[in-house]
Amino acid sequence: MNPVLKTEGLSKHFGGVKALDQLDLEISKGAIQSIIGPNGAGKTTLFNVISNVIPPTGGEVLFNGVKITRKQTHTIAAMGLTRTFQNLRLFSEMTVLENVMVGMHLRSKGGFFSSALKLPWVFREERRIREESREWLRFVGLHDHTDRIAGSLPFGNQRILELARALASKPQLLMLDEPAAGLNMRETQDMVQLISRIRDLDITVVLVEHDMDLVMEVSERVTVLDQGRKIAEGDPEAIRKDEAVLKAYLGEE
Amino acid sequence: MNRPQALCYKIKWGPDTGPPRYDHNNMTFEQQILQYLITGVTVGSIYALIGMGFNIIYNSTEIINFAQGEFVMLGGLLTVSGMQLLHLPVPFAAILAIVGVSLIGITLDRAAIRPPKDPSPITLIIITIGASIFIRGMSSLIWGKEPYPIPAFSGEEPIPFFGAVIQPQSVWVMGVALIVVLSLRQFFGRTLTGKAMMASAVQPRAAKLVGIEASYMVLLSFALSGAVGAAAGIVIAPMSMVQYDMGVMMGLKGFCAAIIGGIGHPLGVVFGGVILGIVESLGAGLISSGYKDAIAFVILLLMLFFRPQGILGKTKGERV
Amino acid sequence: MMTLSLMKKPLAGFVLFSILLLLLPFTVTNDYYINVLIIIGINSIIVIGLDLLVGYTGQISLGHAAFYGLGAYITGILSARWAWPPIGGLLISLVMVGILAFLIGIPTLKLHGHYLAMATLGLGIIVFIFFQELDFLTGGPSGLVGIAPMSLFGIPFDSDLSYYYLVSAFLLATLLLSINVVRSRVGRALRAIHGSEVAASVLGVNISRFKVGIFVLSALYAVTAGWLYAHYITFISPSSFGFMFSIKLITMVVIGSLGSLWGAIFGAALLTSLPEFLVVFENYETSVFGLILILVMIFMPRGLMRGLEDLIKRMIDLGRQNLKERSPTS
Repeated sequence: MNPVLKTEGLSKHFGGVKALDQLDLEISKGAIQSIIGPNGAGKTTLFNVISNVIPPTGGEVLFNGVKITRKQTHTIAAMGLTRTFQNLRLFSEMTVLENVMVGMHLRSKGGFFSSALKLPWVFREERRIREESREWLRFVGLHDHTDRIAGSLPFGNQRILELARALASKPQLLMLDEPAAGLNMRETQDMVQLISRIRDLDITVVLVEHDMDLVMEVSERVTVLDQGRKIAEGDPEAIRKDEAVLKAYLGEE
Repeated sequence: MNRPQALCYKIKWGPDTGPPRYDHNNMTFEQQILQYLITGVTVGSIYALIGMGFNIIYNSTEIINFAQGEFVMLGGLLTVSGMQLLHLPVPFAAILAIVGVSLIGITLDRAAIRPPKDPSPITLIIITIGASIFIRGMSSLIWGKEPYPIPAFSGEEPIPFFGAVIQPQSVWVMGVALIVVLSLRQFFGRTLTGKAMMASAVQPRAAKLVGIEASYMVLLSFALSGAVGAAAGIVIAPMSMVQYDMGVMMGLKGFCAAIIGGIGHPLGVVFGGVILGIVESLGAGLISSGYKDAIAFVILLLMLFFRPQGILGKTKGERV
Repeated sequence: MMTLSLMKKPLAGFVLFSILLLLLPFTVTNDYYINVLIIIGINSIIVIGLDLLVGYTGQISLGHAAFYGLGAYITGILSARWAWPPIGGLLISLVMVGILAFLIGIPTLKLHGHYLAMATLGLGIIVFIFFQELDFLTGGPSGLVGIAPMSLFGIPFDSDLSYYYLVSAFLLATLLLSINVVRSRVGRALRAIHGSEVAASVLGVNISRFKVGIFVLSALYAVTAGWLYAHYITFISPSSFGFMFSIKLITMVVIGSLGSLWGAIFGAALLTSLPEFLVVFENYETSVFGLILILVMIFMPRGLMRGLEDLIKRMIDLGRQNLKERSPTS
């Protein structure tokens, strides 16, 4: 199967530290793939470089075969690649609904001129955005909190809201940065459910996660990074038994 | 005319600013250029001093103190008051003024910078701007709006220098700037308190773990920055007069110097100040004096647009 | 509480506000106050634009007086030197300043926080210096005289009352446009940028485009205000468009409430009228502005209007709690 995302020799150095070191990675379409690794393995850096929030030191990123290495973050998003953040980045002063509505930015067109004059098509578009955003909130189960200020939601709900916001952009590929961090057991279970349902929407999911149970339960493929390099890759069962992985994790202890 | 009117050279910007009026008839072109360079380095030293004030606070808090220029103005005006009201000789009035401005710096930190909880950069910008216009307004009430002179520290007999002249006060300005730079280097590099200040800026939490109280360090930085600013105001006063509104331009030029050199960079600011001073002085002398201040801001903008880390500064590591 | 419900339904608020503007002159006994109202209206137009930039998008500008001044000077020069009609002056200044703001905005709005503040401040001062130095055009520090009084399509606006209604019409138009912008995809993108630039960009918001766009829009508001000012006063000098005026504008935004259009008008009205009503205030004006800025930022960082609102909410909550605590015993 064609990889939806591919990195070739991707590197990112911070001073002398090689957060990513000549990384080759392939994500196949329609999969749920997890990226794990000990602390400092370069997982979050990988997401940051792919979405070009920070530029890589070297190497290329290909999305559906197209080089996106030097494209701006919003252009990459427009091509169908979006993400969430390990440290939540909600628009905390806006309402829950408005957050999701921003998620629909790419799928609407109203500009300065047309919005200021409130042209009829903008009016219709606005209604469509609102209705569909409500549906996304229903999809993730936040429909009872529509008009709350996002920053006032409990932490678990904030994580889910960030997910809903990303979904509203209808990406082809969604990168989740530690979706279960800070969640309790029940919330984590809900998250597992949610992630499986996202896959059913034909969205490829890549996630970085520390919670091994979640990773093993939800992923079809697991990639293990250590010190910016890929040390193992395979289905969850194989990874569980892989010696290099055990060594990397035990070495960390 | 024996005495060139370099003394009349006012740094204050405004409709009445004339070009530096030297006795051009007796000078060759090279001598004129030399004269501009001397003026440039003198004024540049002042910019460097003010820029250092910015750096001290920035290094310990990442705040740009928009009231920095007011420290300069207060230094000058408090010295005037010390001389006129208390009939103190210049050195004592100066010391008193420096102490006074340090206290004002401390007050600024305690009364305005510290109280807001978890402030955003915009909040802090507006607070320091508020402080700056508050101080300026109060000064205009206390001292009025007229400019005050301070006599030159050691006479006004110009020192000949390769066909150009150096005002004794210029020597004072450059000397004080040099002394301040060297002492600050000593302070931050060698003394325990200085190192602690740097540490609390770089790693506030770690600093706290080893017993450094960050808020005390911030307080200290405001006091120190006040003192440096006041010193700048005092040494430049004999050349420029002191007035309640001189702080705006002084502060901006000092910031400009810091940006050119690379904000937070200890030596960069000296470099930046001198470059700015020279370019301004040459621009005023050779092109047009009316646009002198515009030159500084055009440089400022070019730096911000193309090299915000300054000439000597290193690129910051990207953070997300 | 009324302000609360008005903010939820801005269009109802807009209608009420229009009626208020219409009736206001009849409550004013002294003609001089019409003057003040006109200036309030003009300032409100600038402050609404500045609030879109600062309050909604989170990008500070300490040089907005420059755009106001450019609006006034361009139309003023065209009128005084070449006898252009005011409407021509408006169009030319909108186009010229629009292009200028766009070109300047691209590099400037890449900057953040203190750097952005200093850059806009620097821009303001550079423009101010040009007002002073290009005296063959601007009349230099002593000012530009001979600007024609306002007249649009053959209708003169020579009385204060007619001018008041002209300014009101422009204010309402600006306000309506701004309400629409705020409550749209664009408005959400702007607030998203304020909330988190990184998050906004991974959702596809072109940060630079929206920042520059709102910068240009707010500059155009200021130009319109400058145009209204120049043809009202018919004499302009650089001192009206200096650094202090930029600061006053920011103060108005901050006082009113960052990110509330009604707050912006409230801030403009309050700070424009205060010195007028308190003559004693004059000498203290600068200090008081400074003090207000500091106090509001410390105690009500969300602005006076929202601060008061929060206070009222808190008191109501407190009251409810008291009731609850008492009810079991009663």
